[in-house]
Amino acid sequence: MSATHPMQRLRALTRKEFNQIRRDKRMAVSLIIPPTLQLLLFGFALDATVSNLRLGVIDWSRTPESRELVSSFTESKSFRLGGYYTAAKDLELAISRGKLDAGIVVPYEFAREIRRGRPVDVQILLNAVNANTATIAQGYAEGLVLMYNQTLATEGIHPRIRSLGASPPGARGAVTTVTAFLYNPGLVNVWFIATGTFGVLVILNGSIVASSAMIKERERGTVEQLLMTPASTTEIVVAKIAPLFVLLMVMVMLAIGVMRTAFAVPVRGSMLLVVLSAALCELCGISIGTFIATFTKSAQQAQLTAFFVNPPLSVLSGSLTPVEAMPAFLQPVTWLNPIRHFGIITRATLLKGSGIDVLWPNFLALIGFTLVLVSLSIWRFRKQLG
Amino acid sequence: MRRIFSQARKELTQLVRDRLALALALLLPLILLFLLSTAISLTVHNLPLVIQDLDDSTASRRFASAFRSSISFHVVAWPSDRQPERALTSNAARGVLIIPENFGWLLARGNRVQVQLLVDATDSNTARIVQGYVNEITNAFNQDSGAMAAASLVGAQVRLWYNPGRDSPKFYSPGIFVMGISMFPALLAALTMAKEGEQKTILQVYVSSISAHEFLLGKILAYMAVAGCEWLLGMTVLLTVFGLRIAGDPTPLLVSSVLYAFCVTSFGTMVGARIPNQAAAIQTVALGGFLLVFLLSGLIFPVENIPPGLRWVSNIVWGRYYLEIVRDALLQGGGWPATWFAVLMIAVLGAVFYALAWLGIRRMQVNA
Repeated sequence: MSATHPMQRLRALTRKEFNQIRRDKRMAVSLIIPPTLQLLLFGFALDATVSNLRLGVIDWSRTPESRELVSSFTESKSFRLGGYYTAAKDLELAISRGKLDAGIVVPYEFAREIRRGRPVDVQILLNAVNANTATIAQGYAEGLVLMYNQTLATEGIHPRIRSLGASPPGARGAVTTVTAFLYNPGLVNVWFIATGTFGVLVILNGSIVASSAMIKERERGTVEQLLMTPASTTEIVVAKIAPLFVLLMVMVMLAIGVMRTAFAVPVRGSMLLVVLSAALCELCGISIGTFIATFTKSAQQAQLTAFFVNPPLSVLSGSLTPVEAMPAFLQPVTWLNPIRHFGIITRATLLKGSGIDVLWPNFLALIGFTLVLVSLSIWRFRKQLG
Repeated sequence: MRRIFSQARKELTQLVRDRLALALALLLPLILLFLLSTAISLTVHNLPLVIQDLDDSTASRRFASAFRSSISFHVVAWPSDRQPERALTSNAARGVLIIPENFGWLLARGNRVQVQLLVDATDSNTARIVQGYVNEITNAFNQDSGAMAAASLVGAQVRLWYNPGRDSPKFYSPGIFVMGISMFPALLAALTMAKEGEQKTILQVYVSSISAHEFLLGKILAYMAVAGCEWLLGMTVLLTVFGLRIAGDPTPLLVSSVLYAFCVTSFGTMVGARIPNQAAAIQTVALGGFLLVFLLSGLIFPVENIPPGLRWVSNIVWGRYYLEIVRDALLQGGGWPATWFAVLMIAVLGAVFYALAWLGIRRMQVNA
């Protein structure tokens, strides 16, 4: 075996890596079970839907009109009755102690003013500590008041109002919006979370597994033995990556299975595109892991270093929170994150049915990141051995 | 007592020598606080919106300009001969507003005009916000043009309490602060404890005159000191950079912070004592400290939305209670009446972790 063919060497090395993984069952298991569990947990637990807000009511009017308004709030899915109060002070206290999320105050002259056809205001108090809940709750509350106004105008509790409701000649018409929620008409939040978590899992698990695999060889000092073989460093790295890649692909397939079965995420575009970009993403993750491994001395250090790399990667990806909500100076940074591109591709393909004709810039970016990261990690690996 | 302090001093000396661990303990919580608090937010502004004006009249242009001038949207140019859905499939816009023909004519006649809004609902939360914004702008437009005077008899005066600017960092930064304190002292405590088991230095402890309680308390005290430093640094950032202030009675916060430092370091020590393998200990603490606190404490997503089957778990997530207290102290100011239960739960959970850590030490001794 003096003049071995490069392909032969590569195959032998790859077989060695596969054997090592086969013996180390824990690694294979830890690669496949936790991500699936994480996907399930994230999908079930992360839900930003605003519903069932506890509403405290102060009704100083005590009339059919005011009760009609209050019940239009409490009968909606967004609010539920948290209790009636008589004094503003008590309502305030209940909100500040966290017993209520919102309050509505109907003034004494409410019904009288309506009967006379004069405008009247009701006060709605929202605990805005959670900015997102407050934004959505405000939208709900205004929508409910608007609907109440429309019932006043069309059906009308009082004939007087009915006559007021008909637009007098010369008045301008009003604009109403009819909203169509495309691609996810049921507004299923988990479709967003699951498709986002998918990319985060692929990259983070790739990097964790790769760094621990690379470090193991170093900790035991067996890298030198590998170097004495005729194999080149590139071959060593490629052979190391190949089995990890295969294992991670199994994880990707499992994750897709979970998304389909547990969360009923639709597949409207080409699955091939998703799998291909997942493969590219895995290579990015593995390269990041290899890169980290070359800077650290022990498995423990590598894991700790990952704490510095992983949170920014997952947060600045737009996977779990929309990029548009980030401050302007951070938004361009997200384009340097492979998870961002992968997230766009997954969501657009699975949910919207977009094809490569619109997604090619993201796909190209992923290819670019993969090339850069893989060559960077091979270069570091070589330099470190040299 | 003296032995506890010398044990604590030994721990801190070891920590200061390890530069990576020190950076992890003091620098990373701050970096995370800055990064995550500014980046995590669900309240979107400046969303790309396509307006297809099929009418092109004065009225329709005035309607469109109401959207142009709002900070909630920026209007993206889109040729009128292209399918509007394409703007959504190609991620060019989050929504498309289609103004029908005869818009101006119908308005002038006093009719009701329907405008269609297509929303990309892949992100359901953002979709709801888009709908809310569009409705608000449309209402303002209606009121501006004096339409349907009778239809808006009842007005809603919305007051946003505690965070009137709907400033997301104000909500998330206390959460990230809690996450940092939950994770890193526990991580370091778990690491040293696992190291004692892995390198068998625990045997030296057994033959010395130090008792199990003294040994544990010494370790816990050292990492409570680390947590205290993190707490001071983090609180300074919260009060200066994120513009939060102590609202109301600060004593629940102070009492619970000491208890919480004890709780998380006991958790770390417990993990380290039970799992004498550093890599596995890191993973366990990361799972407990990060995943549970991050997901099930109401940090980003409300606890009420967690399905009932999982929600009970959040009752034993220690970070959840501390988060309640920190948010209350910095935003709502409810004081003791609002937080006594949370303070109590932190104390109980801390005691449980400590007892389990102590039992773990006993078992290690038997095994050794």
